[in-house]
Amino acid sequence: MADAVETLTEDLPPARRTARRDRWLGLASFAVMLGVWFAVTGSGLWPPLVQPAFLPSPVTVAKTFWKLANNGYQGHTLAHHFLISLMRFGIAFVVCVIVGVPVGLLMGMHSGVRAALDPPIETTRPIPKLALLPLFIIWFGIGELSKTIVIIAALFPLISISAMQAVRAVSVRRIQAAQSLGASRATIFRRVLLPASLPGIFTGLRVSVGIGVTMLVGAEMVATSDGIAWMALTAADFIQTDIVLVGVLIMAALGYGLDRIFRALETRFVHWAGRD
Amino acid sequence: MGIESVALATPSRRAGAKLVVEGVSKRFGGGEDVVQALQPIDLAVGAGEFVTIVGPSGCGKSTLLNIVAGFETPTTGRAVLDGRLIGAPGPERGVVFQQGALFTWMSVMDNVAFGPRALGKSVTEAREIAGTYIELVGLTAFAKRYPYELSGGMQQRVGIARALANEPEVLLMDEPFAALDQQTRELLQEEIRAIWRRTAKTILWITHSIEEALFLATHVVVMTARPGRIKAAFACGFSREADPLVATTPAFAEAKRTIVALLRRESLEAQRQEAVN
Repeated sequence: MADAVETLTEDLPPARRTARRDRWLGLASFAVMLGVWFAVTGSGLWPPLVQPAFLPSPVTVAKTFWKLANNGYQGHTLAHHFLISLMRFGIAFVVCVIVGVPVGLLMGMHSGVRAALDPPIETTRPIPKLALLPLFIIWFGIGELSKTIVIIAALFPLISISAMQAVRAVSVRRIQAAQSLGASRATIFRRVLLPASLPGIFTGLRVSVGIGVTMLVGAEMVATSDGIAWMALTAADFIQTDIVLVGVLIMAALGYGLDRIFRALETRFVHWAGRD
Repeated sequence: MGIESVALATPSRRAGAKLVVEGVSKRFGGGEDVVQALQPIDLAVGAGEFVTIVGPSGCGKSTLLNIVAGFETPTTGRAVLDGRLIGAPGPERGVVFQQGALFTWMSVMDNVAFGPRALGKSVTEAREIAGTYIELVGLTAFAKRYPYELSGGMQQRVGIARALANEPEVLLMDEPFAALDQQTRELLQEEIRAIWRRTAKTILWITHSIEEALFLATHVVVMTARPGRIKAAFACGFSREADPLVATTPAFAEAKRTIVALLRRESLEAQRQEAVN
């Protein structure tokens, strides 16, 4: 037993050192990307290698961001564009979690439910959901609903299928252990199946955060007059590449930020994942 | 001291037995893919007895344990505990698995308290019971840790404490120490012997290790290769010896020799039959 304690504590310092090194590497790779951007655009210090109309310098982009933050874009503040996009994604995501996770869990636990729901989900999954947007607009109008639904259509299969896989992958041994300890079906669900599925569910959620932010671009492509993706798309029509880049970077930051939040939740709630 | 051949399913043994296995066989699959995992088995285990079942891998010994645990239903025959037919898993039969059956998302304390909670005890009461059994397996200092923070041997102690916390009538152990290194295994074998003496539990223990079977058991059942059936059974006195080094005595070696020879003859026979077919 003493051995185990020793290996536990002995392992920590090198692991922490590796973590610190990896954090620096991450920052360094950001710095390199930024450096290359500075270099090829000149940034006012030397003649640009790339036409500013194609790729504005980071300085220009920062200035444009400042201008947009103060004056807004096309009648709306930058915060409004950001929040409306976040809301479109957020509503779709929350709906998918509230409905998709339970549906996936049910599919994983009952072969009947799986037999009924698997074919519609699996056959519609390969369809690019953006191709359905015109149809959604005809069905649900040009308002928020059709935009939300196109994002839901993309995220729902991802989230429900990952929940289904997660619950099906729960080890039979653990379920048997719970049964032989006298647990009822409800207890087994609440204290064994659900927690054991959480890591898989979390993976599905993280993947769908990335896809969901991507889907914003599609959702805001038509019949809109606000949103970060809309801003970037509209600016592209006028070859305002600096505004396009501001929009792209904000979306990147949004996707990255959400992913960090989910990763933090993951280490908080499923710290035991993959450590049998 | 030593071992002597006995019949484990005689009417007199059955009469007072705690656990009775009657003509239990198991067939998996159907049609051309049918596999006879277990030929009809008869077994009677008395209260407080420690019965180990030893046999080559694939002989169906785990299948037999799964049937007694209620995880699988027998193709023929029945298993009976205290006169009640076994049809499903139940808290009166505590099961300890080889590994990977702990609830990784719960602390050691919550793992062990799971059974008492499932049986309707309050959280405080369940924790109190769990504390007692965690102490019994020597893990009090680790009650708040998670299974992944523990060594393999400690994890198996948690599994044993968890099974004991419901105070089951019988303990069913499916090669619980098979994945552990030799030193840890020997240490835990001594501990389980001490726990068995103290609690007087009835234990059915599956293993492929002949030494383990002899060291722990009051009765050793030897099974043949698939399709498994009982080749021989022995009453065994080593588990009552105080000497922790009993496994190094000549009598132990002699007993081991008897069983090894039995299993060897069996596997040679199986190979010969395969060659004929």
